[in-house]
Amino acid sequence: MKQKNSLPAVFLTPAMGILAVLALVPTAYAIYISFQNRELSRPDGSFIGFANYIDLFSDRRFVNAIGVSLTWEAVTVGMTLLIAVGLGILLFECVSPRTRNLLALLFLVPVILPRVSAAFVWKFAFHPLYGIATYPYKAITGQPLDLLSNPATALATVALVDVWQWGLFFAVIVLKLLETLPPQPFEAAKLDHARTWEIYAFIALPMLKAPLISLAFVKMIESLRAFDLIYVMTRGGPGIATETLDMYAFSQGFIESGRISYASSMAVLMMIATSIAFTFIWKRVQ
Amino acid sequence: MTAHTLGRLIGRLILGLAAFSAIFPMFWTALNAFKNRVDIVTPTPLFIFEPTLDNFAYVLGRESVFAGLVNSLLISGAAVLIGAVLGLPAAYAIARYPNRWSRDIQFFVLSLRFLPPVAIAIPLMVIWLDFGLYDTRLSMIVTYSLLTLATIIWLSVPAFARVPKEVEEAARVDGYGPYAIFFLIALPIALRSLIGAVAFAFVLVWNEFLIALMLTTSDAKTLPIVASELTQLGRDVPWGILNASVVLLSIPPLLFIGVLSGMLNSAFKRKIQ
Repeated sequence: MKQKNSLPAVFLTPAMGILAVLALVPTAYAIYISFQNRELSRPDGSFIGFANYIDLFSDRRFVNAIGVSLTWEAVTVGMTLLIAVGLGILLFECVSPRTRNLLALLFLVPVILPRVSAAFVWKFAFHPLYGIATYPYKAITGQPLDLLSNPATALATVALVDVWQWGLFFAVIVLKLLETLPPQPFEAAKLDHARTWEIYAFIALPMLKAPLISLAFVKMIESLRAFDLIYVMTRGGPGIATETLDMYAFSQGFIESGRISYASSMAVLMMIATSIAFTFIWKRVQ
Repeated sequence: MTAHTLGRLIGRLILGLAAFSAIFPMFWTALNAFKNRVDIVTPTPLFIFEPTLDNFAYVLGRESVFAGLVNSLLISGAAVLIGAVLGLPAAYAIARYPNRWSRDIQFFVLSLRFLPPVAIAIPLMVIWLDFGLYDTRLSMIVTYSLLTLATIIWLSVPAFARVPKEVEEAARVDGYGPYAIFFLIALPIALRSLIGAVAFAFVLVWNEFLIALMLTTSDAKTLPIVASELTQLGRDVPWGILNASVVLLSIPPLLFIGVLSGMLNSAFKRKIQ
């Protein structure tokens, strides 16, 4: 093949060009408006430098939202992986390949549901009077159980739905990963009378370290997109108990005051933080 | 031995509970969609009741739901089409013609997934307003193309990389040019995984919520937004209608469950042997 091949350029240029325009223009524009004092009702704004950014750090709701977001990330990523590994191993150990495939198909259902659907399904299930999930508690104690209106339990209840969607899905992926492992080390360990949990803890999971870290990485990115769940289930409430950063940016920019520039400065900070964090993790994963 | 059998039994029990939790909520929602209001608003959950189609008739008869359905189909369909037409060739070029930028390109595509949706949606709203395209299907299609293009490229690169190189070499020896190899050899061989990638992109934009919420107000509203508005209907909530609209919203993604599971299976095929 001496002749120069035009295919890479022809195939790559349009897609990359469009991606670059579609991604870079809004990003640059977000930074641009974050230095203004633009509002929804007033299309023209003037430059105010870093004022929005400075205001953010004395904004108690912003600080609260950072805390809620970090808690949300830690809880949903941790629980999802724990459930995924646990159920993945059980799928591999306890059932025949046919049942395994059937269960794998069922476990995909929650993650394929639109988040709005999942959020509503569970919001109704947790309804204090008519919900199916709260019914047992009500039947035993005679008291209604209102998890979503209680600041102490609201975030955990929404997190449960997120973990329900992703944990079962990731369990299927862990199962597929286990299926790709060569069987020899396991047989050797069995000959040495290793217990089942020892085989997983010391052989299988260390062999899967890299893909499991990638899974954690994917979940960290996905957890940042939980806006729809929170929006439908609690709208950030009760009070600000479930107000994550994107929820707060949304209510500042659209619901309460229409301060687009202020919301934008928040979004820019999120963008910088996630870009740095994920670039760092990605380089380590590779 | 008995401990082992007992362990298996407990494991199966846990798996059974997990499977139950996976499908029962949706099953219950579907059941409620066929109930009259009095059968839903009862102190004890009802499994046996007189089914009604009123909820579905009401939902489908509502103009906003119908418009949302049409919008969702058009916008998701067009964005997926653009993503596939541009994304599949790009993914093939990345997989088969690695150069010094390949890793950077892949990282750039992935990095689009890091961007917080709010950070994209706010400036896009302002941009579309300035262009006079705010709340139009066109602006939604363009915005969603970013999502579908990035997703399809990301998932298709490994699918093309799994096509055996020898087959492409053989075709080259037979006199096929690079484009013919892509269209006649690589594309058909990788087809199953590629369909999975495209289906995944469709599910993603069909389910998308935040961007649609911020970029539409009436004309281009998608079904998730319409459904979420139904859930905010104040005190006298029409539960049956709500359940019916949730079922309706969930059907298209669920239709792809077989395709997506096939994609997972081919993505994790054992490489040794």
